[in-house]
Amino acid sequence: MEFGHFLSALTPFNLVLALFGVVAGTIVGSIPGLTATMALAVLVPITFSMDPASALILLGAIYTGAIYGGAYAAILLNTPGTPSAIATTFDGYPMAKRGDGDLAVALACFASVVGGLVGAFALLLLAPPLSKVALAFGPIEYFWLSIFGLSLIASLSTGNLMKGLAGGAFGMLLSTVGVAEVSADIRLTFGSQMLVGGFGVIGALIGLYCIPVLIDLVATPDRHLKVEEDVRSVRIGEAFRIAARSKFNLIRSSVIGTLIGILPGAGGSVAGLVAYSEAKRTARPDQKFGQGEPDGILATESANNATVGGGFIPTLVLGIPGTPPDAIVLGALLVQGVRTGPTMFSQSGSIVYTFIYGLLIATVLMLPAGLLIGRYAYKSIVNIPKAVLVPTVGFMTIIGTFSIRNSVTDVILMLGLGVFGWVVGRFGFAASPIVLGLILGPIAEQGFVQGWTIGSATGNLFGMFFGRSISQGIIAFTLLSLFLPLYTAWRQRKKPQEQS
Amino acid sequence: MPDQQRQPEGHVGSLVISALFVIMGIVALYDTTGYYDRDSQVFPRTVAILMILTAGLSLVTRFLHPRESGGFGTGTWWRRVLLILAMFAGSLAIPHIGFLASGAIAFTGGLIAAMHDRWTVMTAALYAGSGAAVIIAFFALFRYVLHVPLP
Repeated sequence: MEFGHFLSALTPFNLVLALFGVVAGTIVGSIPGLTATMALAVLVPITFSMDPASALILLGAIYTGAIYGGAYAAILLNTPGTPSAIATTFDGYPMAKRGDGDLAVALACFASVVGGLVGAFALLLLAPPLSKVALAFGPIEYFWLSIFGLSLIASLSTGNLMKGLAGGAFGMLLSTVGVAEVSADIRLTFGSQMLVGGFGVIGALIGLYCIPVLIDLVATPDRHLKVEEDVRSVRIGEAFRIAARSKFNLIRSSVIGTLIGILPGAGGSVAGLVAYSEAKRTARPDQKFGQGEPDGILATESANNATVGGGFIPTLVLGIPGTPPDAIVLGALLVQGVRTGPTMFSQSGSIVYTFIYGLLIATVLMLPAGLLIGRYAYKSIVNIPKAVLVPTVGFMTIIGTFSIRNSVTDVILMLGLGVFGWVVGRFGFAASPIVLGLILGPIAEQGFVQGWTIGSATGNLFGMFFGRSISQGIIAFTLLSLFLPLYTAWRQRKKPQEQS
Repeated sequence: MPDQQRQPEGHVGSLVISALFVIMGIVALYDTTGYYDRDSQVFPRTVAILMILTAGLSLVTRFLHPRESGGFGTGTWWRRVLLILAMFAGSLAIPHIGFLASGAIAFTGGLIAAMHDRWTVMTAALYAGSGAAVIIAFFALFRYVLHVPLP
């Protein structure tokens, strides 16, 4: 951790790479259907001729920029640009609809920078001890972690808990459609070849979040986003004050993001949802999550960007990639001849520390670059006529979904799911629980089936599911997350009766 | 959503959708009986039972305590239908006429559906030109920069 490594990261070439990576990643991440994985996969060949540290800086900058870029579409179009930005839609889009989209974008930028810095500092200072956390998680812990994520349904479905749970179950069923990973059984396809490949998460996200908005937008002549009469100056100061006021939420969410980022397979979407759930659970009575609450954006965006640094911890220390983008970075490292593992920090220290400092610099550069791009994106979306915006977004949903697996079937399923989501959403079955089920379903199933198998083989099924200390901690949080909203609602109902 | 307020069809619609979820759960439960491996059976079966129970509870609660909520709301139906049909038609046409032409179908349908102002020659030319630029720009980005094999 020498100062020389910091100076190595500060070369003009590395700074240009970091800035280019952040800008490119932000733009790619803002387009629904284009993910951080795709951005890295496309750009990784140009790093092969670079020295390893510069290559890693570019890849890290693209990754962190793409995770932040996902917030634009989530806030301005109610469509998460990347799965990490799912929970950003909950409060981001309501803020944009009431005319605070510029503030929401600025908040997302501040939160992403804070989260990114916390994750990168954890990578710099705590990588070896934190990597042991990843090894302590077995299949049962993953199962309970996914159930913890699903408990967010309770807070997302106040007044409609049964519908929320039914929607979550429906999402989990959707995740099982196609070839079963555990045994290669063909499930829930009803003989249709179209369904054998299953429902892609990105396509489902685009369909469930974006298509209902488009269907509603065309039906009435109302503007798509509210425009304030008075021209306001840049709302960076206001966003900074809100972020500073919510510093505890920011730090807690960043820590959650870092820890979840360390766990292989969990990723930014789970981190964002868990951090959002925690922010909502500990909210003040005057905070209205789901209706445009700035703390919701701060929680999600800080957590999902913290997973970038967190995810690099097991990737570099153990050689276990936490997420698909980490796997691409790992592949790039192998091509460069760098061996990952516990000895990497001592044997290739100059590369690793230069990369980590580069990641920190890229995260800081995201502040001016992100605010500038965000402001431009907001102005463009607000000023573009609705008659052009709707077909443009519609076309983007088609091309974005197609590009994931080069499949027209995915596009048809995306559209069908979107129409279904619009219809059931009109009667209280919200899209978010379905999406939660779809994302967490595979993690839950794998953990559940593996835990079941191990528990049955050892003759201690109960101990397997409930006897491990990490599991017990997650179960306690799950129960708290599940029943606290119900208790709060019950208290609020009871208060007027007591007063009267 | 401003028009998603109390609507007369809301109660019946809510019951119908809840019943639909119950039926889908039963169908899924039946499907699990045909799997060869118990490992691939246990999770969807558990989830299907959960869905039947929760949607069933929602159905019974709504039936016993009718409450007007939800509904399709106000708005022009032909515009909604045109948008959906145009997007489906454009998507289905991709393998046959390529991405540029099918994109034009989807874009034109969406444009007509979303246009609430009076059409003039100027707006028609401007919007058509914008559409062509958007389609060509995204096609070029995905095909030549991102190397997605677009038909």
